[in-house]
Amino acid sequence: MTAPARMRLGLPDLGIGVGLRLPHYEEIFETRPKVDWFEIISENFLVPGGVPLANLDRALAHYPVIQHGVTLSIGGTTPLDFEFLRDLRTLLRRTKSPWVSDHLCWTGTATLNTHDLLPLPYTAEVIRHVAARARIVQDTLEVPLVLENVSSYLTYTSSDMTEWDFLTAVVEEANCGILLDVNNIYVSSENHGFDPRAYVDAVPAERVVQIHLAGHTNYGDYIIDTHSGPVIDPVWDLYRQAIRRVGPVSTLIEWDEDIPPLATLLAEAERARVVREEALSHAK
Amino acid sequence: MRNDLASVQAFLASVIPGHAPIPDEPALAETAARFVTGNGRLTPAAQVDIYRRQFWLRHREILRDDFPALARLLGEDKWNAFCRDFLGVHPPAHAAFEKLIEPVPRFAETWTGLETQAERTFAADLARYEIALLEVRTGPDAPPLDPQMLARLPEDAWERARIVLHPAMRRLSFAYPVHRLRKAWLVSGEPAVFPDAPSPAHIALYRNRELVTHFEELEPEAATLLDLLAEGVPLVPALGRLAEPLPEDRQAHVAASVGRWFQQWTALGIVASVDLPSSS
Repeated sequence: MTAPARMRLGLPDLGIGVGLRLPHYEEIFETRPKVDWFEIISENFLVPGGVPLANLDRALAHYPVIQHGVTLSIGGTTPLDFEFLRDLRTLLRRTKSPWVSDHLCWTGTATLNTHDLLPLPYTAEVIRHVAARARIVQDTLEVPLVLENVSSYLTYTSSDMTEWDFLTAVVEEANCGILLDVNNIYVSSENHGFDPRAYVDAVPAERVVQIHLAGHTNYGDYIIDTHSGPVIDPVWDLYRQAIRRVGPVSTLIEWDEDIPPLATLLAEAERARVVREEALSHAK
Repeated sequence: MRNDLASVQAFLASVIPGHAPIPDEPALAETAARFVTGNGRLTPAAQVDIYRRQFWLRHREILRDDFPALARLLGEDKWNAFCRDFLGVHPPAHAAFEKLIEPVPRFAETWTGLETQAERTFAADLARYEIALLEVRTGPDAPPLDPQMLARLPEDAWERARIVLHPAMRRLSFAYPVHRLRKAWLVSGEPAVFPDAPSPAHIALYRNRELVTHFEELEPEAATLLDLLAEGVPLVPALGRLAEPLPEDRQAHVAASVGRWFQQWTALGIVASVDLPSSS
């Protein structure tokens, strides 16, 4: 069943967006291409001033901008970094991003920051831990927090439930949204041998406020989420399935390695628009 | 062995920064199997090893992004060795990349992968310059200097007025002219090699009103004057302190040059404001 838009935590469907990346800045500012919205990596703009914030303001003058983060470490066991959260809140006031997203993962410990998005063990203990932190983050930032499922390359002996049950329990207990990365679902399903369609069918549709699409790199024995290359057909199929189930939801193309010309990225976004429209018409 | 969240994270954080493939380390591979399941294609150790390889590749590229000239100078093999050794001594403990790169100049100053102290000094100068470029690019903004405000200052104002320098501007002194060499390598495509001999240089690194970063070479006395102004010493007392230890001919040179320096710094946006405290 398709979730009514009004149930999606009250957050709008922005249409199809792409990641705002440095090699495309000048072309975007000069040509103002038809893009519904841009996503930024928040951490790239947590600076006192200068070039990054000037470029951000140029984008904000013409497009909605959504903040996506990579360093929150919501599943970490070190204390939350409130200085970082204050900086993030300041940036949110600048961007007026209606939600802020980061990953359902951990990134490091007190002595090491891996700058990676490591999966969490899927246990009741971890659900309680993450949900408690997510509620604090959401209260501090004063906008809805949206958590993204990550690609993973290992599974833990201590996990005692599926990833989708874990994700559902965390967002329900924390009362936050989901950024459903269907490429990450595909990558993890190949790495760990589960049915990606079961994952898409299981997540609470009314909490999905954004979808990510991206390419990846297949190394044979495993797949890495590199955000390089176009979206592959099985991931488009998962996207169709997700849209049919979830309804019209803000969708973003990520492309961070071997970044192509803007025209290639925009063509991928147009493909997402077509797929989304087709899927929505089938869902009616 | 505990298998709670903190224990899992402590184990992975202890092994991810390592070098050798984890499957080749029997004790680690055994511990990995306690925390990680593996699958039909990959052992637990091989699964953890994916994160170890990603850690290395990611941080090597972060360092290359921030130190492109240093990376080019060292060449691929030596750059790999430099990054390995640096990350071994300074594993990233913070999310912010600025914290990761902060110790690079000090590390370069003593890195034994370079053969001579001259090479190490050069590499450290270059690293300091590349960090300063990043800082200037993202440093705080300041409104442009109001020329009317300067014109309104009373004659005696320079005795007590504090000259406010642009907060994103950096004053740097090097044993080698790394600013010119980096530009020659990365912009003009000249080959990156260690220079034959030192050639001390002082620069102000600033961004102009279009936010483009430039360097301005400074005479030694101009560099000292900028240092004094940055400390908050008003212009006239700063000139006094600058001139005091100088021989007469250099004092005369400073007296003849200071108007031009100040005009130039004002035009370039290096001077952001003049703060005149109340006479009480």
